[in-house]
Amino acid sequence: MLRKIWVIAYKDLYITFTDRNLILIMIVTPLALASIIGLAFGGFIGGGGSDVPVQNIPVAVVNLDQGVEFGGSPLNQGQTFVDLLVPQGDPDPENVLHQLTNAVELGTAETARAGVNAGDYSAAIIIPAEFTASITTTQAQTALTPVQIEVYASPAAPVSANIIRSIVESFSNQIAMGSITVASTIGALTERATANPLFGLQFAAAAGGDGFNPDFSAAFSPDAALIRIEQQRVTGETAAFNPLVSFGSAQAVFFMMFTAMAGANNVMEERRAWTLQRQLVTPTPRMVLLLGKMVGTFISCVAQVIILILALTLVGSLIAGELQFIWGTNLFLLALVILCVSLAASGVAALVAGLVRTPEQGNTIGSIISILFGLFSGAFFSVEAVPGANVISRLTVNYWGVEAFNKLSQDQTDIGLNLVVLLILGVVFFSAGLFIFNRRLSV
Amino acid sequence: MQETLVQVRGLSKQFKRDNGETFFAVKDVTLEIRRGEIFSLLGPNGAGKTTTISMISGLLTPTQGDALIGGNSITKNPLAAKKMLGVVPQDIALYPTLSARQNLEFFGKMHGLGGKTLNQAVDEVLDLIDLGDREKDKVDNFSGGMKRRVNIGIGMLHKPQLIYMDEPTVGIDPQNRRRILDTVLRLRDELKMTVLYTSHLMEEVQEISDRVGIIDHGQMIALGTVGELIQKVGEEDRLILKVGEQPVAEPLLRRIESEVATATRAQYERREIANGDSGALAAAEGILTVYATRGRRALPDIIRLANETGVDILSVEVREPDLEAVFLHLTGRALRD
Ligand SMILES: Nc1ncnc2c1ncn2[C@@H]1O[C@H](COP(=O)(O)OP(=O)(O)O)[C@@H](O)[C@H]1O
Ligand SMILES: [Mg+2]
Repeated sequence: MLRKIWVIAYKDLYITFTDRNLILIMIVTPLALASIIGLAFGGFIGGGGSDVPVQNIPVAVVNLDQGVEFGGSPLNQGQTFVDLLVPQGDPDPENVLHQLTNAVELGTAETARAGVNAGDYSAAIIIPAEFTASITTTQAQTALTPVQIEVYASPAAPVSANIIRSIVESFSNQIAMGSITVASTIGALTERATANPLFGLQFAAAAGGDGFNPDFSAAFSPDAALIRIEQQRVTGETAAFNPLVSFGSAQAVFFMMFTAMAGANNVMEERRAWTLQRQLVTPTPRMVLLLGKMVGTFISCVAQVIILILALTLVGSLIAGELQFIWGTNLFLLALVILCVSLAASGVAALVAGLVRTPEQGNTIGSIISILFGLFSGAFFSVEAVPGANVISRLTVNYWGVEAFNKLSQDQTDIGLNLVVLLILGVVFFSAGLFIFNRRLSV
Repeated sequence: MQETLVQVRGLSKQFKRDNGETFFAVKDVTLEIRRGEIFSLLGPNGAGKTTTISMISGLLTPTQGDALIGGNSITKNPLAAKKMLGVVPQDIALYPTLSARQNLEFFGKMHGLGGKTLNQAVDEVLDLIDLGDREKDKVDNFSGGMKRRVNIGIGMLHKPQLIYMDEPTVGIDPQNRRRILDTVLRLRDELKMTVLYTSHLMEEVQEISDRVGIIDHGQMIALGTVGELIQKVGEEDRLILKVGEQPVAEPLLRRIESEVATATRAQYERREIANGDSGALAAAEGILTVYATRGRRALPDIIRLANETGVDILSVEVREPDLEAVFLHLTGRALRD
């Protein structure tokens, strides 16, 4: 029986991987997409300009800054930052920051972090109590002390989190450099925003521009940095964001969903072509046949993700000029994630194939689900501003898979929940799909 | 008497139409297939041939009835029954991007063949279907006839005792058709296989079959050897006389029946031929059909009587009794309608 499962799976794999068009869709397209977006975004992180259409990132700002007396009047740099991000009244459509983010001010760091954990916010910016005091010389305090703004970010939304981080960096630089007053910074921001509606993210990076020249050296060289921004993951560890991994894993899982859907739907197609019936009249139990088809689908998914991961590693290493394990060094866990994601995707696909009536229906519904999964998990653009999207994203295979890949790439190993969720999704859906399909074939 | 290999008892299948009402695609079909014979199911399109084959190969669950294959119930012990079986489906069921050889190999493995046995079986079949020199070509690039041959080859690959062939000659040129019919005969005569053959073409059924079941509207309306079936319509030839637009009156028919010694029955049928493009009535064609034993001898008398009543005979065709006539006799319809 095992031999026949393999005979069927091998036949499907052979047909799939000898089909040039299919390879193009399965491997080349996601690889190209991930590389292009990843590199473009990588450029943005490094200070180059690029437009990424991100909007309304939900972000919580907590200002614990107690401020100082400065020249007889109160000075609170933290509040300045809050005013910059959080709109007074209606968001100003001309204000790029208001377009880019959807900021609310919260009272305590705990509620903000909890909001991020719950998926209500992509990130929380927490300005410490001694913020202004640390960066302002007064009679009471003559020396500047390094201070840290905490950006507590959701790993589920790496893109958004990094944009927020960049905004904080940019802002902090203005203050730290001391060369531009806060007021003029805001002025420059607004000016530039009105001048260039496509300003988008460039603003945050703002490499070169009139009246607004942030210097990133402060943010990136530890010695010069007065204000440190530490991006906090939910785990509390410092994150190192690799756009190739974030986009790569998102694209890989997104395209893998299509592979899974196509693989499972192939049962319907074979039924129409009568090649399925032709196998059913051989002395082979129906379950063996269906298992063979699904094992083939599963292996296709695994192979596709592995090839993409290897290819993106190559791209990353070429850019870095040396071999870089951008997916992290825990190869065992990486393999587990790959297997679990593939199983979950095949499971969802098996269920879809079991429920549809025709191969056309299977194609349409499979594609819609794959795209919705992609959309809600933020594979294309941030959906964190969409009400409920954060909850829905947790219903997708993509969310749990991409998050696990991202964590591993940062050498975090707390992906137990991800693996369990994926495994359950996979086993339950897979079994349900096989069961329903098996019953449907007995007409 | 030969051993019975397939026993079909009271087999029925009910389907739902799109509008929700149910109907019997196959109703109470009972038949036996004996070891070593070619048994044909003859019936027009939609008669229920494929549905019957699907049930007795385990693809469809019968609404009623069962089939025993070599003593194994296809519903209760399907795997044992299927072991004896090879099936050639009506539609070409192949993987277009695989080569002829790969297609054969895959289905051979599904039948449990492997290693040398498989290789040898594939070589033999490729030889038999005359595609040895094209074995590495993708099936997609084959002509319709070549695909048909691969389709058939898969069914016989594992040398089953019993092979079902569902309309294997549909949509094929005469040359390939001849080749396929010869192959079917070789399966019986050289490989000693038992064949269940279906077709809506009476000529080929009449040529190759040991026994025939005639099926119509899901029901078996006649069953026996070709000779036995033809006996049902008697030894009469069918004379088909075309008379064009001239009307033929009832008295002529009665006179033919009474005055032509061997004639038993005369009928007149007028068909209107619509103009292909406009649908407008272009012409009418009258056909005078006379049933008579030794029809050729009756011909002069019939023509004389026609002339006497002023009817010109435009053309004459003498049909010896055949399965077409049997079907017509039993249903009042032509097989091809
Ligand atoms: N799955 C099905 N559902 C509903 N009706 C069907 C189905 N399969 C066949 N039929 C109907 O049953 C009848 C017999 O079909 P079939 O066995 O294919 O005839 P044949 O093979 O003799 O041409 C036809 O009227 C056909 O439309
Ligand atoms: Mg048919």
